[in-house]
Formats: sequence, structure tokens, C-alpha cells
Amino acid sequence: MHDRSGWRRWLGIELVLTLLLCMELGIFSRTATNFWTAQNFFEVLRLSVEIGLLAVAMTPVILTGGIDLSVGSLLGLCAICFGKLWRDAGLPPLVAGIATIGLGVGLGSLNGVLVTRLRLPPLIVTLGSFSLFRGFAEAITKGVDNFTNFPASFLFLGQGYLFGVIPAQLPVFMLVALAVWLLVHRTVIGRGLRAMGYSPEGALYAGLPVSSRLMWVYGLAGGVSALSALVYVAHVGQAKADAGTGYELLAITAVVLGGTSIFGGKGSVHGTLLGLAVLVVMKNGLILSDQPGELVGIVTGVLLLTVLSGELLMKFLSRKSEVRRRERLLKTR
Amino acid sequence: MNNALLELRSISKAFQGVVALREVSFDLRPGELHALLGENGAGKSTLIKIITGAHAPDSGEIWVDGQWVKGLDPRKAHRLGVAAIYQQPALFPDLSVAENFALALEPPSPFRRVRWALRREQASQLLRRVGARIDPDTFVSELSMPEQQLVEIAKALGAGARVLIMDEPTASLTREEVGTLLGLIRVLKAEGVGIIYISHRLPEIFEVADRITVLRDGASVGTFAAGDLDESELIRRMVGRALTSEYPPALSEPGEIRLEARGLGCARWGVPEVSFQVRSGEIVGLSGLVGAGRTELARVLFGITPADSGQILVEGREVRIQSPRDAVDAGICYLPEDRRRHGVVLEMSLASNISLAVHRKLFPRGWIRDGAERELACKLIGDLAVKCSNGEALAGDLSGGNQQKVAMARWLAAGPRVLLLDEPTQGVDVGAKGEIHRLIRSLTNQGMAVLMISSDLPELLGLSDRILVMRGGCLVSEFGRGEATSDGVMAAALGKGGVEL
Repeated sequence: MHDRSGWRRWLGIELVLTLLLCMELGIFSRTATNFWTAQNFFEVLRLSVEIGLLAVAMTPVILTGGIDLSVGSLLGLCAICFGKLWRDAGLPPLVAGIATIGLGVGLGSLNGVLVTRLRLPPLIVTLGSFSLFRGFAEAITKGVDNFTNFPASFLFLGQGYLFGVIPAQLPVFMLVALAVWLLVHRTVIGRGLRAMGYSPEGALYAGLPVSSRLMWVYGLAGGVSALSALVYVAHVGQAKADAGTGYELLAITAVVLGGTSIFGGKGSVHGTLLGLAVLVVMKNGLILSDQPGELVGIVTGVLLLTVLSGELLMKFLSRKSEVRRRERLLKTR
Repeated sequence: MNNALLELRSISKAFQGVVALREVSFDLRPGELHALLGENGAGKSTLIKIITGAHAPDSGEIWVDGQWVKGLDPRKAHRLGVAAIYQQPALFPDLSVAENFALALEPPSPFRRVRWALRREQASQLLRRVGARIDPDTFVSELSMPEQQLVEIAKALGAGARVLIMDEPTASLTREEVGTLLGLIRVLKAEGVGIIYISHRLPEIFEVADRITVLRDGASVGTFAAGDLDESELIRRMVGRALTSEYPPALSEPGEIRLEARGLGCARWGVPEVSFQVRSGEIVGLSGLVGAGRTELARVLFGITPADSGQILVEGREVRIQSPRDAVDAGICYLPEDRRRHGVVLEMSLASNISLAVHRKLFPRGWIRDGAERELACKLIGDLAVKCSNGEALAGDLSGGNQQKVAMARWLAAGPRVLLLDEPTQGVDVGAKGEIHRLIRSLTNQGMAVLMISSDLPELLGLSDRILVMRGGCLVSEFGRGEATSDGVMAAALGKGGVEL
């Protein structure tokens, strides 16, 4: 996308994050007990799937210059609806799960409708549905009901292991991440999303179907939130109305940390994955190093600010080397 | 040269190793209008930014009132009486005129009361000085473009500006409004204000300039007294070569009807009912004052604001246009007036920009194929002679004329039946302007139908095969190739008896 050649292409947020990740691994392998084990590695992955799904689906939304604050609440609502469909309507988990995902797509698209038809800012629309979805979840359960005793075949999705070591939800996450990566980076839809993020009117004047593409991304975010709800329920073994509280902010943090511009246009899905990795490894490492839980929030804040200023430094270095290259060219002529 | 208001001595500036200005000297005397000319990318903007303190020169000296000013920054420049007025007025649209003045003119100190009565009084005084009949309590968003410009000038004068920089001040003005502005400029000159004037419109420069400095490729070609040069001489110095025949002729008679509007209207956007035809191989010029509904008509045809009555026919078949996508599918493409906001996506590469409207044609399966995209971009960049390093360059890094070519390339890739062009050469330098004219003509010679909106009368008269004039949302006159004169077209645009806006 950008006019950067050779190694300069790699001077960017991805390199900053990779270095940071290596640093975390280096530090925690000394300070934390049981950090550097295959078991812990997969445990970290298992813990990051729910947030990871939300972050991956949030990336295209933010690329369009929008935001979706409702994904955490939608996770809660979908968890409750899944429980309701399975326990009270007596549907088998598979059917209930598919229906739940359909519901997620529908409610996500509702965000999309409000954004495109009423031309309200996504921040306002999803701030509204953030309260609305959580409110529905609480209304359905009257604030007390919760759903447990799911069959083992369903719980396997969140607690089981494939080949004895790989958490069962990991392939699900990888599939979704790959699909969204392809969508964002290799298809005309992704290209259109970027154009809309950089210049909403420019995209419209180029004849892109701006409204339907927006419906798409908000619908996708809703569907993936529902999937994340299923993984969550299977993981913790119960569905309560407060499931996923605050997840939307963690997901947005991972996306922004991964170098996606909050103004839209610039960003990548692999950046989001790296951002997510830096966050979850830090959290896990701090806990295993017997550090107080409050430290997680502080370090997250510091990380976000350093990484974003680190990116500026990289840009500066890249520009300097570009200048030197041009000067050398001038001399040889 | 002790009486110079402002003097630049051997200014050089490079950006990232690319030389933007090379040993440029320039001076401005009190009461003088000094025009700064050059093609886009010649270094005019850089020089202006150095005078306003936005950029520091790499070498060279800046003297104001015979004093060497070191480390000029925007605040210092403001204090020394340097003010710049750009093409797009930099006012706060949701504040009143008086409030805008207060913000610019109140000495910045916290917790100080703004004396509104005094401000309003001062505002109306300044507005009178520039000859504007504007109530200081009007919101800026309610003012027309020329009125906003007057407010800007008044604001600059209120701040004690003695060096006034005007960057393309007439780009979006009609001929009458230009006349008013030039009148004001004469008054300011008589008051001893020095004016640095940038414009691509040469006739107007000869009308008001005392001296002219020409920049080419970052170096000064020379400073001339305005009387010593004529237009062609000036163009030759700007582009470094003589330009051949300005407007290429049509090679064939117009063919079948490509685009027809029957009673087309969109009440909400001030297009009551318009009927016209554009034939294959024909350039139809659309004239009218700013606000006459020309752009609004184009936006209806392109589906940005869909029509609520009437019909659009492309090659005799009625088409329903509810969105730009419908328009593109029907073969109608629109080159918008606001290039930077609508015409190209500045942050994206040339190749991405060019392929943006032809995704479905170029990538039928929906997967981006870099090879096909690069091939298309290379071909069009070559055909249109876009000056750039390669297709991976960002559109925002190109000059205005080259951005416009990229915007054109996008639509040529789409293979339209009808091209709507809205001010295709606005803010484009002389060299690129000629290239764009030749491009438009060669398209119609291959059978394209073109509807061209233009406020540039010579261009409209020179290039169009037929001219339609709009006034108040309606088509009011039509001129054939032989019949159109600038006076006739202007009179039609203004209405009988030359009623002013």
C-alpha cells in the first residue's frame, strides 16, 4: 500500500510489537513461575480467544473510520439467548448456537442500519446499543437467572483439547482470523473499507456501495460477537447477563495497539493479532510473576502510549534513511 | 532596496533531500502587487510557507522593514504584519463574523472579558473598509464564498497586516465577483499594503500586478515589470517552452444521442426541471454563475442526490440512478469539482485509486490481483502522462494537475459512455491544463460524450462544441459553436439586463 521498499517496509508498528513481545517473553521467562511451558502457552491462547474474536471483527469496523462499542454487551446478550434457547426452548446446542449467531448478525446489522440510514455517528449508535443489549440481557434473566449444566459435548468447545494439547477453541479463532485477514487484505471489500475510512465521500464518488459495505462490517462484528459468546459460555461453563463486560474496550485496545488508525483507513489484522498477543502475554506474565492485578491496567496504558510513540520514532528513522539513500543517489549521478 | 516591506535573499529549502527552492530572492514594496507565478510544484507554496513562518529556510535571509528577522515563526510573522488568505477561507463556520474577528484579534489572555460592543463596532468598521455589506452578527456558514473571502481580508487588515498573501483568491469566484475583489485590491494598494498574489488566471494578473516573479522547478526565472511581458511570453517563461495551439479542434461531427435528460428534477437540491441532450463525440459546456445549479445537476445525474422527477436516458434506454454505483453501471462517470475530497483518495496509492471504480470488472471473483492492478495503473499512468515515481506513490504526494489526471484515469478505466466533468482544470497549472484539454478532446474524437461544467470562460468557449447556460436551477440559453461569445454567455448567466447576484 505504501511507497516503502525493501527492509524499510518492516520498520513499522509490527516491528515495534514484535520486539516488545520478545522483551516480554525474555523478562517473564526469568520472573514468572511456569511461564515458559507449553501448557501455559496454550492456556494464554485459550484465554485470549474471546477478546481475540472481538478484536479481529472490530478491525474492519475501525478501518472504515467507525467503532463498535456494543460487542461486549452483545456477547452478554447472545450468551443469555443461547442459554434460553437451549434450556427453555429445548433446542440442541448446535441449533441453538447457529440461531444465536444469526441473532448476532441481525443485531450487528441493526447498528449498521442506524449508522447508514440515519447517518448517526457510529460512536453514538453503538454507545446506545451498548446499553440496550446489556439491558435486554439483564431483563431476560431478571438479573439473577443463569444457565449452567451444559452438555459435555458443548463444553468441549471451550474446555477441551485436540490431540491432548491444543485448546479446542483455537482452530475456531484461527479460522475466523484467517477469514477476516483475507477479507481485509485480499478482497475488493477490504479495499473498499479502507477507502471509506480514508475518505468516506471519496469512496462514494468512486461508486462504491458505501452503505451496504457498512452493513456488512457491523453485521460481521455482530456475528463474530455471537460466536465469541458461544466460546465464552463453553469456556466458563455458564451464561450470565454480565458476560463480556468491558470486553469491547480490551478489543479496541488490541486493535489500536496493533497500529490501526482510529480515524480509519490504515491498519491490519495481523497488527491486531500482535497487539492482542502483547496484551495477553503481559497480563499472564504479571500474574505468574505474583504481581498485583492492578498493575495490569497501568502497564496496558503505558504500553499503548509507548508503542504509538515508538511507531512515530520508526517513521522518523525510516524517513532519515530514505533521505540518505536519495543523497547517495544524487552523488553517484 | 531599503524601502522594501519584505525582502527574501537567496532562500533555499529542501524536503527530505528534494530541493523545493534554490537560491530564490524576492522583494515586496509598500503599495505594490507582486504576482508569484509558476506551474504547480514550482515552489510557490513553499515560498509562501517560508514567508508566513510555517517552514524555516535551510539557508538565506528574511528581511522585514530593513531588519534581518532570524527564526521567523508563524507568531512572529503575524506580529510583523504578514497575513495569508487561502483558496478555502479559514474561518470558523459556526461562529458569527464578529466572533471570528474577536478570536483573531483579541490579545490572547485567559479570563479576559471580550468587549462585544467594541468588537461588533470594530467588525462593522473593518467590513466597511473592504466594502462588504455584511452584518457582523451573521454566521460565517451563511455567507457565500466571496463574502467569506472579504471577511478574511477584513480580519487580516484588522490584525494590522501590511503584507497580504493571496493564494488563488479568485478560483471559486464568478467574473463579477472577481471584478469586485480586484477593485478592493486597488484600494488596499493605495493604502500602502503590499500584496503577494498567486493565481493561474493570467488576464487578471495583467490587470492588477505591478511586478511578476516567475518560479520554475524551485528557482526564480526572474522578476519582471508587468508591462514588459505579454501573456504568451509569460507562459513560455513559466513552462520553459512555448505552448502549441491552445484548444484542439473536433475531428468529426457529433454522432448519436448518448445522454438525454427529460424534465429531470430534484427539488430538494434546487434543480426544478431540466431537459437536454449530449451526443457522442460532443463536448457540451455548462456555464452559469456559482450557485446556478450546475454542480447540483451533475450530482443528480451521478446519483449522489437522486432525482425525484423526470427521466435519464443513456443511449436511448431509460436508466434508474439512485446511487453513484447505478450511474457507473449505466455508463455515466463524474469527475467532481473538489478533487482532494471527492476526486481521489489522497492516502491511497495511484494504483488503488485508479482501480477503485472498476473493482468488479478488474477482479470479477472479488480477490485483489496485484498484477492486473499494476498493469492497468501503468497503462493509464503512461497514457495520461502522470508525473510520478510509480503506481505505488500516494495520490496525496502528487501536484494538483497530476491528481486530476489520476481522477480521470479512474473513470477511463471504467469505460464510460458519458463523462461529466466539473471544473476539470481548476487549480491546475498551465502545462497540465493543456494536456487535460487535449485528453478531453481526444476522448470525444473517439466517440465519448462529455458534459463539462466550467467557470473558466476561455476554456468553455475554446473547448465546447455547444454551450448550455444555467440560471437559478434552469437551463436558460444554448449557444452553438459559432454563436458563443464571452459577453453573450455571461449576459445569459446573469439574466437579461445584467442583474447581479
